[in-house]
Amino acid sequence: MKTFNVWYITSFIISLIVIIPVLTVFSSYFDNTSDYFKLLKNTFLFEYISNSIILLIGVLFLTLIIGVSSAYIVSFYSFPFSNFFKWSLILGFAVPPYIYAYSLTAFFENYGTAYTILKFFLGEGNYNMHIPKFDGMLGAILSISFSIYAYVYILTRASFYFQSNNLLELGKNLGFSKIKTLFKIILPSARPAIVAGLSLVAMETLSDFGAVDFFSINTLTTAIYNSWLSFDDLAFSNQLSFYLLIFIFTLFIIENFSRRNAKYHSPMQGGFKLKEKIKLRGMSSFSAFFICFIIFFFSFVFPVCQMLYWTILYPKNFFDLDIQNLFINTIILVSISSLVLIIFSFISNYGNRISKSKFLSILTTISISGYALPGVILAVAYITFIAWFDNTIINYLEIKSIKKLFIGSILGLVLAYFVRFYSLSCNGIKSSYEKLNRSIDESAYLAGYSKLKTFIHIHIPYLKSSIFFVFILISLEIIRELPITLILRPFNFETFATTAYIYASQDLLEAAAVPSLFLVIIASLFILFISRYILKEKYE
Amino acid sequence: MNKNYLEINNVDFQVGGKVKVKNLSLKIQNKGQIICLLGPSGIGKTTILRSIAGLEKIDKGSIKLKNTILSSKSEHVEPENRNISLSFQENALFPHYTVKKNIYFGTDRNKLNGKKKIEPKKIIKILNIEKILDKYPHQISAGEAQRVSLTRALVSNPDLLLLDEPLSNIDENFKEEIQVKLKQILKQFKITTIVVTHDSYEAFYLGDKCGIILDQKLKQFDDPYNVYHYPNSIKVVNFLNRGVLLPAKVTGQYTLENKDLGLIKGNFVNEHAVGSIVKLLLQPEDLEHDDKSNLQLDVIDKKFKGTNFIYTLKTKSGKYVSVFVHSHHVHQHQINDKFGIKKPIHIKHLVCF
Repeated sequence: MKTFNVWYITSFIISLIVIIPVLTVFSSYFDNTSDYFKLLKNTFLFEYISNSIILLIGVLFLTLIIGVSSAYIVSFYSFPFSNFFKWSLILGFAVPPYIYAYSLTAFFENYGTAYTILKFFLGEGNYNMHIPKFDGMLGAILSISFSIYAYVYILTRASFYFQSNNLLELGKNLGFSKIKTLFKIILPSARPAIVAGLSLVAMETLSDFGAVDFFSINTLTTAIYNSWLSFDDLAFSNQLSFYLLIFIFTLFIIENFSRRNAKYHSPMQGGFKLKEKIKLRGMSSFSAFFICFIIFFFSFVFPVCQMLYWTILYPKNFFDLDIQNLFINTIILVSISSLVLIIFSFISNYGNRISKSKFLSILTTISISGYALPGVILAVAYITFIAWFDNTIINYLEIKSIKKLFIGSILGLVLAYFVRFYSLSCNGIKSSYEKLNRSIDESAYLAGYSKLKTFIHIHIPYLKSSIFFVFILISLEIIRELPITLILRPFNFETFATTAYIYASQDLLEAAAVPSLFLVIIASLFILFISRYILKEKYE
Repeated sequence: MNKNYLEINNVDFQVGGKVKVKNLSLKIQNKGQIICLLGPSGIGKTTILRSIAGLEKIDKGSIKLKNTILSSKSEHVEPENRNISLSFQENALFPHYTVKKNIYFGTDRNKLNGKKKIEPKKIIKILNIEKILDKYPHQISAGEAQRVSLTRALVSNPDLLLLDEPLSNIDENFKEEIQVKLKQILKQFKITTIVVTHDSYEAFYLGDKCGIILDQKLKQFDDPYNVYHYPNSIKVVNFLNRGVLLPAKVTGQYTLENKDLGLIKGNFVNEHAVGSIVKLLLQPEDLEHDDKSNLQLDVIDKKFKGTNFIYTLKTKSGKYVSVFVHSHHVHQHQINDKFGIKKPIHIKHLVCF
């Protein structure tokens, strides 16, 4: 029943809104720029690009090692606390890279926490020269890696979990050793999942603003921010975005392709047999525990303890902070954005489902690329578009300027979040929708239910658990999000993330600890809520 | 005035722009009739049901129910407004509702249109699903799910019931019982039904009429007895696979001769000129076993079917013929034994092509 009904038109408009920033970036490529481009080309452009590449390679390498090894250990072996590590290893995701960066610096800097600990145990001494410094590029690589390795961990673990025991038994049958089974059977089978995880890591790394800015690493993302803010060159900012986007979209396509391939490794193809975990004893049991503990410690315990330590050490910062206000602001953003995103994702998914239009399906696929759009690029593109729209269309219609309505307002912020996290919300609902066979809808129609009634009585009740999952996921992302909030927030409107960033950029790391700690606690709670979904161990 | 209950006139049934069945016309004259459609997989049987239900549109012809046009090139009544139930092959139970809620889902409509109510409890009892009412679809077997889907379709008391392979997942030992119960319900409540199946025995039992769909066309539409015993083409014979075609020469008004079997007597279904060479349809029940006969053929295979044996025999010219023999017949034959056929062979109806 291919019909151009209200669902079709609404989902078409939604897709269009999400696509606008991408189109803006691409169209701005042909705009005139200031001399800043020439200046940059002759001076720092090479540095920006090379830094981005070094950062990317470093983070990919580290997340691959951490993510795959931890996923392998918890998926195939049983050892003390293995069930605890199964979910606790995703808690690192609650610590955004910029907060990890603050903790890393706070601990290892001259006269930092490491120094204080050494002084406490060993007395006065010149320890600073013996304490390693994790700043600059190394600091950025560590901060980003420990914060987002969970992407690789979650996807690889899911792939390992659903690898049939038949495969492993086949390895034994062929006389393979454990190591040979790992490299010849387990890893090749999980490769699409690993690639998908690494692609997400790569996109996040190239999008990162907070950590690289804190460590003063000049990457393409900071260049976009600087060319706009310091040189007031919006067009050039968009041009840089264009280059970065090409790169990121390549990763996006790789990620999508890998996911598609990953389907062929799922138990849905039949022959799935749940495997028994191998019970480790003695030294090997301790080694497995130690590896997981180290990863858990450095990804979560370490930054949380550092923030907690400073919060306790400087209680004044805690009392000076208007926590209630920050909390309310965060709740306002989270609730409005989640609500809007979920409602519109529903409409779009349902529109796609009932219209069966290939054009709409393609448009939706393009529109979910918003997630690949770094926050900085998105914010800049958003401002560019509103300014263009205001100067041309609104000016032509001779009505009141809309700039104030959309820039530096909650509405503007919600719209930008909408574009950025639409794919998260849309895909989250879509993946559950796909499990609901179309004949289910048809059964409802044949029972006399209209499309709207089917939507209300069949789809919403069926999808309520995924709505909750998507809500938490969006909330988690919005709480962690920094550049969009920083650029587009209303005057005097702060969240935990922006407050932490502002303090840190003023070198007031002790003061940044309190909002960071609150942010991490809230994010951890959200992760605990959804860990059951993330680590699901059955096909629903 | 046209009094057919359902009328399908020259419809091309298509899905995704691809025509599956061409120019199909079919009529159900009276309310409460059961029609079975038979055909190989992928031929378009399901597409026909989906189009009648309004889930697919048609570009050619028309579908009328109770003298109202439901589908044509210019008209399309939405599925929710047709009062037609379809029991899907994949069952399509609502995964988040219990079996009970699934069943009662479709009963609301009948409260509104004031139709005679079919008591769900009665159907639930007949189809033996009382024990699973509080379970969710993922907690029940495929066979149970199929019975639930059938119950849901039945209790809505539709103007037209469409069943897509309704018993395909039900255990063999239970299937016959369900077939009987299903037919009783349909007849008791006078529910006009179209059943799609690939099981010819199921179709012959359930259907007042059977349609054979082959090569995008409705090849034959007739009583089950006629479809079985008087297939109207070689393609229908081959599809039903219930006999062999042997070359024979027409020797008289009631006789023909086969090189291996000799003289065969009977009534020709169609006229054939004396002296013409035809292909005679020989079904397993057409031949009689007789150990004393001088027509002895080699036993190639022997299938035990419970109530009877089916022997596959080889003629002198290398053709294979099948013969039914009662399970309790005295002389059991083994493979490579000789098997006697009663002569002269007399077949009630001679179907020749």
